[in-house]
Amino acid sequence: MIEIENLSKEVMTSEGLLRILKGINLRVEEAETVAIVGASGSGKSTLLGLMAGLDSATAGEVRLDGNNLSTMDEEARAILRGRLVGFVFQSFQLLPSLTALENVMIPIELKNDRHAREKAQILLERVGLADRAHHYPNQLSGGEQQRVAIARAFGSDAKILFADEPTGNLDTATGGKVIELLFALNREYGTTLVLVTHDERLASKCHRIIRLVAGEVAGEVAASTDAGADSAAALRETAHG
Amino acid sequence: MAEQSNTGVLHLSTLLRLSGRLLWRDWRGGELRLLLLAMIMAVTSVTGIALFTDRLEQALLLESANMLAADRVLSGRQQAPEEWLEEARARGLQTAEFISFASMAFSDQDNTLVSAKAVSDAYPLRGNLLVADQPFTAGQEIVGGPGVGEAWVESRILPALDIAVGDAIYVGEAQLTVTRVIVQEPDRQQGNMLDNAGPRLLFNLADMPATNVIQTGSRVSYRYLFAGDQRTLTEYEEWFDTQANEGFRLRDVRDESQEVSEALNRAESFLMLGSLFAVLLAGVAIALTARRYSERHFDYAAILKTLGCTSAQVSAIYLLIQILVAVIAIVIGSVLGWAVHEMILLTLSSVIPISLPAAANTPYIIGALTAFICLLSFALPPLLALRDTSPLRVLRKDMDEQNLSARLPYIFGMGGALALVLWYSQDVFLTAVLVLAVAGTVAVLSLISWFLLRSGAAAGMHAGSAWKLAMSATRRRRKQSVLQVLVFSLTIMSLLTLTLLRTGLISDWQAQLPEDTPNHFLMNVSQSQVAGITEFFESRGIQANQFYPMATAGLVSVNGETPRRPWGDNEEGGRNLTERNTSEGADEQEEGGERRAGGNNRVINRQVTWVPDLPPDNTVVDGEWWYEDAQPGLVSVEADYASRLGVRTGDVLEFRVGAGELISVTVQNLRSVRWDNMQPNFFFIFSPGTMDFVGATYLSTALMAQEQKLFLNDLIRQFPTIVVLEIDALIEQIQSIIAQVTSAIELIAFLVLASGALVLLACVNATLDERFRENAILRTLGAGRKLILSSLVIEFAVIGLVAGIIATLGAEISLYYLQTEEFEQTFSPHYWVWLTGPLLGTLIIALLGVMATRRVVSTSPLIVLRTAV
Repeated sequence: MIEIENLSKEVMTSEGLLRILKGINLRVEEAETVAIVGASGSGKSTLLGLMAGLDSATAGEVRLDGNNLSTMDEEARAILRGRLVGFVFQSFQLLPSLTALENVMIPIELKNDRHAREKAQILLERVGLADRAHHYPNQLSGGEQQRVAIARAFGSDAKILFADEPTGNLDTATGGKVIELLFALNREYGTTLVLVTHDERLASKCHRIIRLVAGEVAGEVAASTDAGADSAAALRETAHG
Repeated sequence: MAEQSNTGVLHLSTLLRLSGRLLWRDWRGGELRLLLLAMIMAVTSVTGIALFTDRLEQALLLESANMLAADRVLSGRQQAPEEWLEEARARGLQTAEFISFASMAFSDQDNTLVSAKAVSDAYPLRGNLLVADQPFTAGQEIVGGPGVGEAWVESRILPALDIAVGDAIYVGEAQLTVTRVIVQEPDRQQGNMLDNAGPRLLFNLADMPATNVIQTGSRVSYRYLFAGDQRTLTEYEEWFDTQANEGFRLRDVRDESQEVSEALNRAESFLMLGSLFAVLLAGVAIALTARRYSERHFDYAAILKTLGCTSAQVSAIYLLIQILVAVIAIVIGSVLGWAVHEMILLTLSSVIPISLPAAANTPYIIGALTAFICLLSFALPPLLALRDTSPLRVLRKDMDEQNLSARLPYIFGMGGALALVLWYSQDVFLTAVLVLAVAGTVAVLSLISWFLLRSGAAAGMHAGSAWKLAMSATRRRRKQSVLQVLVFSLTIMSLLTLTLLRTGLISDWQAQLPEDTPNHFLMNVSQSQVAGITEFFESRGIQANQFYPMATAGLVSVNGETPRRPWGDNEEGGRNLTERNTSEGADEQEEGGERRAGGNNRVINRQVTWVPDLPPDNTVVDGEWWYEDAQPGLVSVEADYASRLGVRTGDVLEFRVGAGELISVTVQNLRSVRWDNMQPNFFFIFSPGTMDFVGATYLSTALMAQEQKLFLNDLIRQFPTIVVLEIDALIEQIQSIIAQVTSAIELIAFLVLASGALVLLACVNATLDERFRENAILRTLGAGRKLILSSLVIEFAVIGLVAGIIATLGAEISLYYLQTEEFEQTFSPHYWVWLTGPLLGTLIIALLGVMATRRVVSTSPLIVLRTAV
């Protein structure tokens, strides 16, 4: 579903050339769940952005469902995102002036779907916020906002879901509920899930954990054989590649 | 699940739904309110001003056409060729004609001098006569003029001839019957002033041959009236210019009355300037609010893009929102503009006729186009920057403010503004001047405000902590502060300029024709009559004014050389009211003939006077007046005329006077004169004694109320040789036009003030977000409310002070240019503004700033920090 070959990202800073990613190779299968972990500045958010087609790489290739992102311009990537990709963000990224329902409707509407309202309503029911449909983001708690964001992510019929620290702004209990919801929906929809996190509990729920150190894959762990199980993971150090 | 997929093409309905929803939600959230308000303001002021100007112009045109009884008047000393009139009629113009002459009128009992006017049936083409059945009563409007065999007379004629309405009156050899009394005649003051001396007697042109008045050499003037639409009139004028029209003049009211034309020109300039200011200020407000709006929407755009919106779709959504805003603004603004202009017309109903034809549609079109130009030039650039927002923004919260080019919107804005200026003024030169002025001002202002803020920051380091906080804030936001100072000072400058210009114009007009302006000229008075006339007035409670001795003097040489010709031949002739009343009496035909024969060496004849005291409304601008030590042999020259002649103080001028004697005089001083005050004015005034040997006639003025006019009969009976010119109707007409124009100016100034306030508000609002965040952080770090509030006050006060100083400077410079070049006034610095300008700037900006940012302090820092992420 996702194939990454030799992916590099470099930026010019005042101190000279900064190499954020140094030749990453990675493969994510359909319906697989992958966590990317690493210290701050290890390049994990950059990797996520590149995988999702939010940014363009300096070198290397990213293929989403067979589409080579590096040969596409921003317009084409936007269309691909709309067709293929859903997002959940640490800071929720709901449009503050739209209601919960209207936020969920956006990606459905962007497909010119005339039943956007009904579909969005069903999704909000699924995340347990049917009674909050007409509230604005600033009238919702953090956990509720993230559940709206999850509903929105699944609203676009995405095949791949990218999540950037989805529990980063939530307390442990709320975060836990959000994680359960995310994985439950993921199973229902058969989505491929890639998430960036510091949260070991969250990472351990994934099939695989990929650790980034200074822009390189430092190790890979098969976290759980059966997704959803909370068992401890066996470590399997491998050379990257 | 669904077959639909994102193909990069949004259905129009989807697009509309998305844009409409964002628009509605943004409106509810208050995000769009200022932007919409700014646009509504732009449309309202432009539409309102355009509608009002349109209607005012119609009113003024009507009023001024009434002064001519026509749209154009052709005048001459002989009959015009019939084909000229046929040509006019063939082109669809209405025509009428009349012959005017001074004549004795007789009754069976008595006789008196009248100004007779034989009019064709169509007279008057514009305006109506006001007539009554009895003398000295109020009149009623009547359509048309006297029928064949009828005579309509001014009240005063009846007692003078000892007759009543219905009696016979004799003009030349014709017998007519007095059927009505004239109360008011639209074009009473038009034409040769001497022809209009004496009370009016109006009769039908068909009776003219019977009078047998016209004989070779008799002083008769012919006038042909034309009325029709503007374009046909202009075409006819062009055709007329191709004819051999020597001795004839085709004129409109502006040629006929310099006083009116000046008032109209100035009012038009002011209205244009005012609406320009209003639009530019509204444009700045639009630019500021649009920028803030788009800054707040960078995150929106990024989120929409992660959800699959393409750049084109983002652009389309925001473009649609803006167009929706513009359409709403146009609808509301047009209605408001209409209401504003109706309100003004209502308050002005005493001076402007209510029954004006409705305004054309063009003002609404102008308003709508203005909204779109403002949108395109001011609002679009920042909004289009949204399309280039990187979707990566959703991951990297700390990403740099979008690379919204700082200059691009302003370049666009300036371009749009200039297009507007060019369009309104239709004047490339004025536009070019404005471009340079604005570019220069912006450059200088940026520099000055940058320095002032810098030094302010340095000076503030030793003061209290609130002061320090404020100064560090202005320094931290220096770029933004400079922009704020720029916007504030341009706004305050516009307001100051317009207010001062308005005050100047209005006081100028009030000084021009005050309530007690003398409205009668007494001419041809002999020295022996002066004492008698003075006594005549004083015994009837009328103020007797100064008597000016008057004689013709021809300028022969300047310092021994032939004088320059001050004007082209066509402009020569009566340059002011005094000369129009007198020298125009010299037959135009003969003058023309002499001009051709004499070529460039023709002696310039002027009516001159000699008095000991400086006449009112005259100011010595160079040299000194002769007060006590008046010596013969000195002359005072009007300054503008002197510069045209190339004459300076100390020059020696030679004049031919009286029976051909040459006198030589030294220029003692140069004077400026108010030519438009409808009072005796002279190019040359000699010192007393210089012209004693010349036989002079005297000229004086008197102020007589309507009910005192009957005294004129006694006056003329007692002093039969004098000539009385009645200019009361003319003065009233000019005063009424000026009253209208004054109200218009007050209104425009008010509209601009409103736009200005909006800009100030928008500018303060533009920095709200950053202030919220900064102050929330400061407060979590322990800064008290009081400290933050006082630092806000100081910050805005300093910005206001700097803006006030710059604005005052700028206003004085632009006033200097406008008053001397555009409005032909004299400029003097407004010292009180030097104090009040900066003070007002400080107060207003501090007040506005604190009012707008009070929320910054009263909002919980937690909320701010949570929502500001």
